[in-house]
Amino acid sequence: MSKKIICPRCESEHTDILTQSPVPGVWEVYHCEECFFAWRSTEPDFITDPAKYNTEFKLTREQLDQSGIMPAVPPLKKR
Amino acid sequence: MTKKIICPRCESEHTDILTQSPVPGVWEVYHCEECFFAWRSTEPDFITDPAKYNPEFKLTREQLDQSGIMPAVPPLAKR
Amino acid sequence: MAYQDLRTYLEALDAEGQLIHITEAVLPEPDISAAACAITKFGDKTPALLFENIKGYTNARIAMNVHGSWCNHALMLGMPKDTPLREQFFEFVRRYQTYPGKVEERDSAPWEEVVIEDDINLFDILPLFRLNHGDAGFYIDKAAIVSRDITDWDNPATQNVGMYRLQVKGKNRIGIQPASAHDIALHLKKAEELGEDLPIAICIGNDPLINTVAAMPILYNQSEYAMAGALAQEAYPVITAKHTGLQVPWGSEIVLEGKILSRVREGEGPFGEFTGHYSGARRMPVIEITKVSHRRNPLYEHLYLGQPWTEVDYFIGINTSAPLHVQLKEAFPEVQAVNAMYTHGLVVIVSTKVRYGGFAKGVGMRVLTTPHGLGYAKVVIVVDETIDPFNLPQVMWALSTKFNPQYDLVTIPGLSILPLDPASDPAGMSPKLIIDATTPQAPEKHGHYSQELRDPVSTEAWVEKLRELMPKA
Repeated sequence: MSKKIICPRCESEHTDILTQSPVPGVWEVYHCEECFFAWRSTEPDFITDPAKYNTEFKLTREQLDQSGIMPAVPPLKKR
Repeated sequence: MTKKIICPRCESEHTDILTQSPVPGVWEVYHCEECFFAWRSTEPDFITDPAKYNPEFKLTREQLDQSGIMPAVPPLAKR
Repeated sequence: MAYQDLRTYLEALDAEGQLIHITEAVLPEPDISAAACAITKFGDKTPALLFENIKGYTNARIAMNVHGSWCNHALMLGMPKDTPLREQFFEFVRRYQTYPGKVEERDSAPWEEVVIEDDINLFDILPLFRLNHGDAGFYIDKAAIVSRDITDWDNPATQNVGMYRLQVKGKNRIGIQPASAHDIALHLKKAEELGEDLPIAICIGNDPLINTVAAMPILYNQSEYAMAGALAQEAYPVITAKHTGLQVPWGSEIVLEGKILSRVREGEGPFGEFTGHYSGARRMPVIEITKVSHRRNPLYEHLYLGQPWTEVDYFIGINTSAPLHVQLKEAFPEVQAVNAMYTHGLVVIVSTKVRYGGFAKGVGMRVLTTPHGLGYAKVVIVVDETIDPFNLPQVMWALSTKFNPQYDLVTIPGLSILPLDPASDPAGMSPKLIIDATTPQAPEKHGHYSQELRDPVSTEAWVEKLRELMPKA
């Protein structure tokens, strides 16, 4: 079992391998089930490393849950 | 006696031949002693013909006499 | 090596493919101005035009559009003709800051070859023509005009070389527009207070640099010739014209000497001006020409101006921006670059570092209080240091996104402006506007600017890589 993959953006552990390079072994793409971030293993460390990820762009699940909804979901009409 | 030359701009008759082309007979330049307009005999009719001169640019001696002075003439200094 | 006269500069333009010879016979009107207008339709790399066969004249030649492109401007500075505008600006600023350059006084000049003192007829000597249809007559609009303070005659610091429009009204009679804000108006006032005429020399068909300096807003006590020497990076050659005692360029084609008649004002104008509008008519001073000197077979040079952009806009672009840049930087070293190329600086774009909230508006205020800004700058746009003020799409991006009309717009009422600004009301007065299009800095806080886009990390390396792969022209 390999070490856990931490989301670089929200630092959640609820991540998974999304896909792998068609040419085997070149890269993998991961995604985060909490904040919906996605990244490739071969990107620069300021994208892949939670400690180096740009703090202006850090985003938690709580922040997402409190963010705006666009467009608003309209009330269901009576039929 | 040739016909009088009318200034296309102010329509005064106080006009004169200012000069003639160094190559004889090609053109003459006229000027108006009232409004200081000058024009060449070979210019388009909307410059040379008083009836066709652009009304936006018509200018009378009276208008000139009422126009601004630039720069102002300073008072004579006492010696 | 700088060009010391118009002929050698035209030869250099010719060698670089920047000169079109027009050998067909043309009428003075409307052919010459129509062709000079037409060449401006081809963009910012256009060649100069040399008319060699003008109907009614035996051997007159007229050069037009000499300054009418960034290529010609680069060649004037001795730079490759495809030098980007921004690089030309910074080189111009660098040379400007070596002021004063050297001035070399010579004993004789080619323009002394032919002398006319009796029966002067300017129409025989100069192939004069009407430039725009509403003009009052035949103007000289690209002459370097020299005058001095007659009350301080031996002080060379008072000597001025400027460019003012001249309406040829008679065989030796010329109307002049010495606008009040300009140096020559100071000389005229002092002479007129004493009831004396003001000696004047009008130099036509010059090397390209002295015309650039004559049209440049430098300070009253700065010498145009020492500035030309600085821009040339070599001694600028002059000679004293014997009739008036004024120093004039050694390389001129034609020198007219005479005097502004004391306390005389006479109808002048309209003339189509660099504002893209006619000036209206006013009563202005009159010059009497008493001596004409010229090279054999002289070259006449004229400036085309029409609705922008035309030759005049290239002619008064960088030379307006550079002095403003230097003067602004003296107060605020944070300033990066100044673009005052729009109608002689009616619109000025300044790029600056922003130290704290409100700083950019302060820089804008300083533009309005520079000597040139006081009479010209009407709209000042201040942008971040990351924006190139010569790159209008970048400036438009800053306006589009950094600017909030509620916080970033400052209007100042009751300031002075050149009377030729058709928007001024009354002529010569205008409110002014500062637009702060910089990113707000603390303690100013409005908008959401923490996530500005940046170039991907290896972009610069890719620029170089792609430059190599680009198809060669």
